[in-house]
Amino acid sequence: MKKTACYVHIPFCDHKCIYCDFYSIITSDNISNYLNAIKKEIEYYSNIYSIDRELFTVYFGGGTPSLMNPAYIKEIINHIKNKFNVSVNAEITLETNPGTVDLNKFIEFKKAGINRISVGIQSFDKEELKFLTRIHDSETAADTINKAKQAGFENISLDLIFNLPGQTKEKWMYNLQRAVELPIKHISAYSLILEKGTILNKMVIDGKVKMQDEDYDAELYEETIDFLTASGFNQYEVSNFALPGYECIHNKAYWDYSEYLSFGTSAHSFLNNKRWWNYSSLKFYIAAVEKMNYVVAGSEELSHEQMMEEYVMLALRGEGLHLDKLENLFGNEWKNSNNEYISDLIKKGFITKKNNFLKFTSKGYALCDEILSNMS
Amino acid sequence: MKNIRNFCIIAHIDHGKSTIADGLLEMTHTVTQRELKSQLLDDMDLERERGITIKSHAIKMKYIASDKQEYILNLIDTPGHVDFSYEVSRSLAACEGAILIVDAAQGVEAQTISNLYLAIDAGLEIIPVINKIDLPSAMVDVVKNQIIDLIGCEADSIILASAKERKGISELLEAIVKLVPAPKGDPEAPLQALIFDSVFDAYRGAIAYVRVFNGVLRERDQIKFFVHGNEYMAEEIGVLGLKKIKTKILETGDVGYLISGIKDVHDTKVGDTITHVRNGALKPLPGYKEIKPMVYSGLYPSSSDDYEDLRDALDKFILNDSALIFTPETSAALGFGFRCGFLGMLHMEIVQERLEREFNLSIVTTLPNVEYEVYKKNGEKLTIDNPADLPDVGAIDRIEEPYVKAQIVTPSEYVGSIMKLAMEKRGVYKNTTYIDPTKADAEFEFPLSEIIFDFFDKLKSISRGYASLDYEYIGYRESELVKLDIMFNGDTVDALSIIVHKSKAFDYGRKVCTKLKDLIPRQMFEIAIQAAIGNKVISRTTVKAMRKNVLAKCYGGDITRKRKLLEKQKEGKKRMKQVGNVEIPQEAFLAVLQLDD
Repeated sequence: MKKTACYVHIPFCDHKCIYCDFYSIITSDNISNYLNAIKKEIEYYSNIYSIDRELFTVYFGGGTPSLMNPAYIKEIINHIKNKFNVSVNAEITLETNPGTVDLNKFIEFKKAGINRISVGIQSFDKEELKFLTRIHDSETAADTINKAKQAGFENISLDLIFNLPGQTKEKWMYNLQRAVELPIKHISAYSLILEKGTILNKMVIDGKVKMQDEDYDAELYEETIDFLTASGFNQYEVSNFALPGYECIHNKAYWDYSEYLSFGTSAHSFLNNKRWWNYSSLKFYIAAVEKMNYVVAGSEELSHEQMMEEYVMLALRGEGLHLDKLENLFGNEWKNSNNEYISDLIKKGFITKKNNFLKFTSKGYALCDEILSNMS
Repeated sequence: MKNIRNFCIIAHIDHGKSTIADGLLEMTHTVTQRELKSQLLDDMDLERERGITIKSHAIKMKYIASDKQEYILNLIDTPGHVDFSYEVSRSLAACEGAILIVDAAQGVEAQTISNLYLAIDAGLEIIPVINKIDLPSAMVDVVKNQIIDLIGCEADSIILASAKERKGISELLEAIVKLVPAPKGDPEAPLQALIFDSVFDAYRGAIAYVRVFNGVLRERDQIKFFVHGNEYMAEEIGVLGLKKIKTKILETGDVGYLISGIKDVHDTKVGDTITHVRNGALKPLPGYKEIKPMVYSGLYPSSSDDYEDLRDALDKFILNDSALIFTPETSAALGFGFRCGFLGMLHMEIVQERLEREFNLSIVTTLPNVEYEVYKKNGEKLTIDNPADLPDVGAIDRIEEPYVKAQIVTPSEYVGSIMKLAMEKRGVYKNTTYIDPTKADAEFEFPLSEIIFDFFDKLKSISRGYASLDYEYIGYRESELVKLDIMFNGDTVDALSIIVHKSKAFDYGRKVCTKLKDLIPRQMFEIAIQAAIGNKVISRTTVKAMRKNVLAKCYGGDITRKRKLLEKQKEGKKRMKQVGNVEIPQEAFLAVLQLDD
């Protein structure tokens, strides 16, 4: 049985946050039409891909999936389980935003089959939360985690954003400290990215907000790695840290170059060396799926070189690159043409090599994109 | 012969040479209004865009004058830029008269004066014309006085024209017939024909534009060229209307073209004399000069894969440009390329631009320099056109550099600031004459190297665009010159080395280091940028090591985008040049041309 990850996109949000460039909508129109469309799409793909395939994760991302009625999520999970083989111990994650769930709702989500909660905390600081236009305050943030725990969730993750305009090192370290004191197993710590088309980007262009410089960003990042590592968390990707055994199986699937099948607006799938993606527009997606049972906005067939490039990129961004595995999959051309550069990186402390396994040091993670672009 | 008039037009840029020419062509029915595109004589795109005639052409007109006789008027066009002054002199040599055009609003400019002197030296009859008299800002009387002071003519002999309105054109035609002398020459003497221009045609090879001074040239004549002595047959001869018109014969005094199966313009050199193989003239016409490049620069393909393409392009290019020279050279920083010699900065820019446009090449150019004469202590003399080739300081007795005599015409109020600029550029002041109380003509001597880059721009900016410049080469002089090297982490970047006057080395070094600091992207290690004379570092800046470059998120939907971004970054890196470990963007090599104060 081929192991495949599964992603479901829930585009609905209460409002748009200033830094967010994900596809999301703030009206609740079409919620039930969307459910029907997703179910159709699941059915369509199950006819093609369910044979010899086992879904080992299901991930509800958004948008704000936790905004939905638990029954809604349950219906999707049940539909997936009806149409596909889903592993008995599959990781089923729900992205959750503070302020959208109470204890009861958590309990209902758990009953629906969710077994991992990822909470978009972003910050524990009042001012920062206001700046990020999040709906919650710092008490609600902590409370959400505690409620999830109370509802019986063991596997809880939280997201934080650093390098916010004006963020001092003290404030960031306070956020991290608060995070590790909560009953969580996993932290995603993202440096604020200025994405085109976001409100934040416009604010920066208009000179209302000033982003912090690269050196400061690097300092915060290195401190983050040091702090979380010292707190028992293991860095298994550029921005992701987990207590042993609690790495996110779904996200690791992307980075391990596993196959994934996705449903809903703007969702990307990757199967049989082919990647395709859906339309972002909710209306367009619903209309097309109603008509044809599926819809593809774009696709690409990956060449040997492209696959190798992605494989290396994702492995190095993630837990590390197994040279033997790489050679099995793609031959020895990468090793031959990058041998010298790798030795140099090892010498300069950007990468470590143990038993033919390459892994970035914290200095290396910080320069990941630069290093990748130097490779041939 | 007595009804032939050979003449040219002398004018500063934008004073209306092309519109006057258009007016003459239209009034003589050589072309109809409809055929008349604006600036008819400038047919290369580039020329039209720059508004300058780069290569001269000629055109024949027929005109029935007020004396009821028909005259042949040969208008020989001249390039308007100082880079092409030798070509100007050969065009002038093919004429008996010159129309001097002065803009009624601008007055006499440096280039007007220098080309006018060339014309007077060549013994041409000058017909002064004030153009654009209908402009609101026209100062006809002021300009009249300037012209009278300049050539000592009578006020009423100056033709007042507005070429756009076709005003003054018929007076001009009459004046050409009356004042320009008919060609002199001996039809019975051995053939002597002057090449005043030559162009390359992909199908016909080199086409020489000639003026017959003595004898006659017939189709199928066996001819030879004095410069190289090679013999050819005159396959086709003719005169130049809007198109080429074949004839059987070109007689004494005629202007026309010659096609003789010569493959490129290097065998039809401007200024050379053509004669017959049998019973030929014993001596060429005077005035031929081997043209020498004044400015040198390295031309490198942006991507080293394009080296062969660049070579092919240059090979093709010189078919039509005998002034450009190139030899292969290698730079540690830029790889394989060519050291090229140009007549001047305009010529250099034109060559670059045409290579990029017509041959679709992307080119990196190094800082241009002049040619130095280096006298070594052991008595050896070297000619250096690339700073990287300069021998060790210890072995050098002295270095000489080319000097020019420069003429700057300016409204008097700017004389003070121009003096200051001239001193900054190591200029030696010679004298000032006043064209009229408001306009001065100042003469300086400059090292050529000081005025080839930004001098003209600076001159324009301190004079609000009013001052004009012209210069001519006067010889080599000893100067206190040093080689300044730029190093990245201790490795010299050969393509950034420069020969500079000792008094300016420190300032230059500081500016280059500062500029490069902003242009070199941060890399994974610290980069020390140093300027050094020999072993002595005179300036230093540092590019700090890159600390962070990683996108925080990369999930299922980001992977395609991320890979494409990575591919783009790799592509960008390929275009960078490498010195040691340091990657240098191509802009860095050009940026040293534009150093701010």
